[in-house]
Amino acid sequence: MSFGLGFLERNFGPDEMEEYLRRLARNAYAPLIESLRIRGLPALRDHWNNIMSLEDADFSLRFTDDVLVLEVRRCPAIHHMKERGYRIAERFCESTRIVNDEICRLAGYSCSTEYDQANGRCIQRFRREAGA
Amino acid sequence: MISCTEFIIAYSELFAFIEERHGTETLDRFWEELADEFLFNLRDLVAAKGLLGMHEYWTHTLTEEGADQTMTVTDDEFRLEIHQCPSVAILRRNPHITPYRDYCRHCTVLYKRVIEPFGFKCEMSIHDPARGRCTLRVATRSSDVAQGRVPLD
Repeated sequence: MSFGLGFLERNFGPDEMEEYLRRLARNAYAPLIESLRIRGLPALRDHWNNIMSLEDADFSLRFTDDVLVLEVRRCPAIHHMKERGYRIAERFCESTRIVNDEICRLAGYSCSTEYDQANGRCIQRFRREAGA
Repeated sequence: MISCTEFIIAYSELFAFIEERHGTETLDRFWEELADEFLFNLRDLVAAKGLLGMHEYWTHTLTEEGADQTMTVTDDEFRLEIHQCPSVAILRRNPHITPYRDYCRHCTVLYKRVIEPFGFKCEMSIHDPARGRCTLRVATRSSDVAQGRVPLD
């Protein structure tokens, strides 16, 4: 996946990579977007819990006030690529920010992603849009 | 993070995206670069052991993926029949997505790219892309298959 993102960015620029990721979010995560609209943040909590557990990540999920916070202390994707010596796309972690943003935007939520790609760590926050 | 459990869907979407916006030639170039960068396990095994190396490579990867397949290897031919491709099965299990129309072709491009420089003839027949049925045949250049004396199918 990292190679595909790098290919788009190298050949066609960052906007093209972003366009692909937003389309991927709309198509591949359509059921999650719908679930987020209906069930709210617990839908996202369940999604991340499932994915991160499957991938054996070191992570925590918590609600702080009305914000769902996902803290990834050891990203399985980054560590998998590092262990195998794969080239990691320069802006690989942007894929998380962009996909999250598109999913949330379509469901009436907002999010932020702070990441440290070199060390495979990030903090993602999700909240309902005011007035949504 | 896009999970590894979602990679097949992400790739199908990527293939469709590249073809739609940049054409089939660009998609083929993407697959060739992907083969050059990632299929070194297959390349090393073919370099070291030829047809037996292919058998070893696919025994490992297809067992890992739980594929329904039949593999045979002789002195001058390696043959792999996929009865139900695990990747295609994932695409079928997700009815909310529209799989890339030519998804199976990436295997043809990837494997030819790696195998043929070692002096083999590599052919792939996609029998049923919707169900994930195909046959990969690799023959030594001097064999009847490679010389066209025996049809591929």
